[in-house]
Amino acid sequence: MGLFPRDFFKFLVKRPLYTTGFIIVVAFIILGCIAPYILTKPEDAWGVTYDLNKAFQPPSPEYPFGTDAYGRDMLNRVILGSRYSLIIAVCVVGLSLIIGVIVGLVAGYLAGIIGTVLMRLTDMFLAYPPLLLAVAFASVLGRGVLTTIIALAISWWPWYARLMYVSVNSVKSALYVEAAKVIGLSKFTIMTKYILPNSLIPVVTQAMLDMGSAILEASALSFLGVGVPPPIPEWGRLISEGWVYVSKAYWITFFPGLVLLVTVVGFNLLGDAVKEYMNPRLRSIVAKR
Amino acid sequence: MPITRTYLAKRILLLFLVAFGVLIISFIITRVIPARPELLWVGIHARAEQIERARKELHLDEPIHIQLYYYLADFFRGNWGVSWRTRQPVILDIITSLPATLELTITAFILAFIIGVILGLIAAINYGKVIDKVISVFSIIAASIPVFWLGLVLQTIFSIWYPILPGGMRVDPSLVIGTGFKPITNFYILDSLIQLNFPVLLDVLKRMILPVITLMMYPLGLTIRMTRSMAIESLQEIYVKALEVWGLPRSKMLYKYVLKNVIAPVIASLGLSFGYTITGALMVELIFVYPGIGYYVGMALLSFDYPAILGGIVFVAIIYSLVNLVVDIIHAWIDPRVKF
Repeated sequence: MGLFPRDFFKFLVKRPLYTTGFIIVVAFIILGCIAPYILTKPEDAWGVTYDLNKAFQPPSPEYPFGTDAYGRDMLNRVILGSRYSLIIAVCVVGLSLIIGVIVGLVAGYLAGIIGTVLMRLTDMFLAYPPLLLAVAFASVLGRGVLTTIIALAISWWPWYARLMYVSVNSVKSALYVEAAKVIGLSKFTIMTKYILPNSLIPVVTQAMLDMGSAILEASALSFLGVGVPPPIPEWGRLISEGWVYVSKAYWITFFPGLVLLVTVVGFNLLGDAVKEYMNPRLRSIVAKR
Repeated sequence: MPITRTYLAKRILLLFLVAFGVLIISFIITRVIPARPELLWVGIHARAEQIERARKELHLDEPIHIQLYYYLADFFRGNWGVSWRTRQPVILDIITSLPATLELTITAFILAFIIGVILGLIAAINYGKVIDKVISVFSIIAASIPVFWLGLVLQTIFSIWYPILPGGMRVDPSLVIGTGFKPITNFYILDSLIQLNFPVLLDVLKRMILPVITLMMYPLGLTIRMTRSMAIESLQEIYVKALEVWGLPRSKMLYKYVLKNVIAPVIASLGLSFGYTITGALMVELIFVYPGIGYYVGMALLSFDYPAILGGIVFVAIIYSLVNLVVDIIHAWIDPRVKF
């Protein structure tokens, strides 16, 4: 964790709520990584078989989260779902970050016509409500993990482009950039060697904290039927599958949603922690009390 | 800053630019990405001659910039295509379902704003105490909750397990026939008030409870958080402290000095959360069978009804830009420090 200095953890430990958020996030990431190896009923989780005799079992010691309409163990499906949420979130945020940083960097440093055009392009994308643009793209691109990632990334990068643009603008008049210009370095070298490393931190921090929203939006896409297709046990997908049976088997929608909620809360708590940590004014108020 | 005419003119010009951008993107989605755009227009079950006619109608054999010209011309003429599901012009469908969505989202927003500011102020005054912690945790959960899940949970509890509230639709159809209720503006609250039809009014309000609670959670969480942190900061200001020492009653101080500092940023953040709320309406209306634009687009998504999907989304995007404009103007009007 090179991004967070050591006293961030000291700061965290003193605040139980933020610590909880941190633990949730770490647990989610670990679960997402090891999910396929800890499944007790892998065939249920992947959804390759079905057994109608076991359908709609309420939560019990054998099936803690109950079973779905095809008799699959919901706990196993939810566990595997964490992997899809993690993969989608990391890819969406990563992809948007790459596009956003490049656009913001070029627009911010070159300014002029190229900069104006790039930033107006960014504004065009920002004119759509966040999830709706993704819904529009996903509906045309078709269902799938990859198309979900692409559709979300298309609606996501403009936020980072805007943030990067602001960050670059605050860095580009620094003395060391002037110095690099004077000794005759090329624009490309100045951008990649001097501006990029010094303007990246706010954008990357924001991106890491946006993982919770990415998970939430991916599940919303799946719920609307334009995200990942069955039988992939993505959480939004599971809730959507349980929707029709909600009156006789609440557990099919309830548990995936609860896990989804806890995960997003974890990311948002961690986000608050980082924001409070980085805002010295807020911290001094806390310290005074 | 007093709102000058130049400022308004500038913002309205910007709105047109943004609307143009919205249309360009929707053009790319409908005409450039798909391999056979004519199929999106007439549906996969169309006959060969229908498809041929659609190709001509959409000018798909012409170069791309000419296609864009016709696309924009069609849009401004109101030719947004015919929905495969309802077999009606998309623009007509949208206009009839708009009031339902507005009724729902505006109610949710007003409630979120009022309750959010009150809870946020209570938390700020009791900073660090138990009540503050409870409100803070609630606000974080409210801002993180998946709307579609909350909608289903509320529906299950309050209209299936304990059937005290209706779980769907805008109004009971038998009540409409029984009392002779006629939708005039399609804003049912307004319509029933005009006709002094109180049974219908009561039913409409009752049916709005669950969808409004679901929809309101995200802006509510955001408003509480924003109000709380702004109020805590402004309670630390020297002049507020001075007033406290001077012996001004707490309630007066809150109302006169703190609230003013809080309202403007809260309104700005509400404007941002409108985007999430309107997409939330998509899922909430689908779950509660509430026939607004969200329900319309949601049903279109489930039946791959492309003219309806894209028409609805473009329309909502333009409304969204309009709302942002209004929010910015209100923000500038309330907070004289805002510069443009």
